[in-house]
Amino acid sequence: MRGIFSVLVENKAGVLSKTAGLFARRGFNIDSLAVGETDDRGISSMTIISTGDERIMEQIEKQLNKKIDVIKVRRFAENKCVTRELLLVKVTYTNATRSDIMQICTVTGAHIVDLSPKSMVIELTAKSTKIDRFIRLIQPFGIIEMARTGALAVQRDSNE
Amino acid sequence: MLTGAQVMVKCLEAEGIKAVFGYPGVAICPFYDSLYDSGIRNILVRAEQNGGHMASGYARVTRKPAVCVATSGPGATNLITALATAYADSIPLIAITGQVSSELLGKDVFQEADITGAAEPFVKYSYLVRDGRDIPRIFKEAFHIASTGRRGPVLIDVPLDVQQKLIEYVPVTEVNIRGYKPTVKGNSLQMRKVVDALARARKPLICVGGGAILGNGEQVVREFADKFHIPVVSTMMGIGVMPNEDPLYMGMLGTNGKPHANYAVHECDVLMLVGARVADRAVVKPYKLERRSTTIVHIDVDPAEIGKNLGTTVPLVGDVHVIFENLLKFDIPGDYEAWNAELAEKKAAYVDRRHFNPDFVNPCRFVQTLSSKMDEDAIYVADVGQNQLWSADNYVMKHGRFLTTGGFGTMGYSIPAAIGARAALPDRQIVAVCGDGSFQMSLMELATMQQWKLPIKFVIMRNGYLGLVREYQHHTYHDRYSGVSLDGSPDFEKIAEAYGLQYFHLENNEQMEQRIDEFLACDHAAMMVCEVYSFDLVKE
Repeated sequence: MRGIFSVLVENKAGVLSKTAGLFARRGFNIDSLAVGETDDRGISSMTIISTGDERIMEQIEKQLNKKIDVIKVRRFAENKCVTRELLLVKVTYTNATRSDIMQICTVTGAHIVDLSPKSMVIELTAKSTKIDRFIRLIQPFGIIEMARTGALAVQRDSNE
Repeated sequence: MLTGAQVMVKCLEAEGIKAVFGYPGVAICPFYDSLYDSGIRNILVRAEQNGGHMASGYARVTRKPAVCVATSGPGATNLITALATAYADSIPLIAITGQVSSELLGKDVFQEADITGAAEPFVKYSYLVRDGRDIPRIFKEAFHIASTGRRGPVLIDVPLDVQQKLIEYVPVTEVNIRGYKPTVKGNSLQMRKVVDALARARKPLICVGGGAILGNGEQVVREFADKFHIPVVSTMMGIGVMPNEDPLYMGMLGTNGKPHANYAVHECDVLMLVGARVADRAVVKPYKLERRSTTIVHIDVDPAEIGKNLGTTVPLVGDVHVIFENLLKFDIPGDYEAWNAELAEKKAAYVDRRHFNPDFVNPCRFVQTLSSKMDEDAIYVADVGQNQLWSADNYVMKHGRFLTTGGFGTMGYSIPAAIGARAALPDRQIVAVCGDGSFQMSLMELATMQQWKLPIKFVIMRNGYLGLVREYQHHTYHDRYSGVSLDGSPDFEKIAEAYGLQYFHLENNEQMEQRIDEFLACDHAAMMVCEVYSFDLVKE
């Protein structure tokens, strides 16, 4: 089972390592982790995705809550939150392949953010599964370099 | 304007600190210089780890955070075992460490250690002070964090320049940490569920752990058990909640506990865990309880303990004394007479079948005799090993305290912890019991004892082995004794003489009563060596 945790923490030195250390120490998985400031500069938001059974999910939530630098922990149900990852990928192209790549980008909503005579950098913001699919499509053209973030999550108030 | 170090001392004074247990070094010298002008006495320890254990002993008997101090680098890293011990046993400590100057941090200079990083898994919280103006707030918060919720150690690491810099001292009296609001009062709906579970129960049982004592709950838990006739078992850390003479008390549970206590745990239909974390030595097979569909009521101040090792039916978070004061107001119409009679029968039928070599001191009888003869409110500190298990199993609890590290099991704990307890309570009778192995792990502290003229009594159960490991090798490795012989140990009588201690020697059971009387009557620091047979066992 996958757990999506949105954790509000004090924005100060050492908090990330304390939180990540907790996962390592207690043998909880981190599938992905993303951190950034919130609208309040004193508070950072971490999105942590983990896998394990219900008991482990409950322990993760409780152990996070126990940390003094942790202000709030929320655990989202899969269908009750919006999640997004960011992908940056550099691919090679030739005159023959360029339009194919551009077409894939148009269809998937990816953007070309840098173009050089031999390569281009493509950006895509999407759900994790969609990013996986995009990578599979683009792979045959030749990936030179790739980076992707962990997922961010925000609670969804609408019913989907 | 004051220096950061002077402000640190002011903060300790504001918290009512009378003594610190420490070891100076260059990086903590400004603090020591400020201590020189204050009423706080520094008890110079002989190794930093023991300073942490002394603070632990002090904190346990005063029920308030106690302070240990070390310098940067090796001083700080030497403290880690004591911090880990306090963390596992949930003891409120404040550890102050000196650190190299801010501008040198991260440059691997002389005696630099990233102590907040290294100690992270073993502290409730830690601070690296970057700005001296934060000192009053940090100290206030540290004492608050250590002494509320689940108690534990808090580390404050202060760079040299921060201690030296002049700042304006603005006292802080309020604490507001947005991520830390421990629940004290139990939820009333959950409380109701506890009452309902007990009303339906035929065989309820209370299991008290260290949290019952840390949550100042001994009195109320006892009253609760007595009022509703609910039998009680205890973990090692919970020893002291119930006096031995109470017929409701079944003794310690677990691997090294009483068979009737374990019987009670496995036969009960409602198990009320009170400040107990259900570790492997207490409940070896928690899944058995889950399969039996025993109703588990878990009362703990730390929500993360609930459901961690054992599935829980009714969780209840809060401070033990507050919860039990409220539970006492309910009427519980349960009738547990048959259950009590069943357990009383089991308890009466218990025969200790262990055999002890009659030519040596019987350690069980020794602990019984010693603890019965001790003052009503005396403090007994048990070390780790066979001595600890014999102590826990046979200690006759009256109205004193039984201190040991049941959570972390740190050898060498008893002597420094006894020194700490005595520094806090100068009129109390304090007896530490250790083995010849654990004694040699902290015997340097006899100098601290001597320096402060603390008339502590301690007993060494000498059997020439690291007895508990030897016993384990006997049972598990067919008597292949590997690395457990203590040959080469010094003549303890000469050690006693060297440190100016009165010496008593007990060779066998015949002289036991008389020798213990003499030992306890002596008003000087004293050492008693008990000759225990090398091959006597805790468990047959």
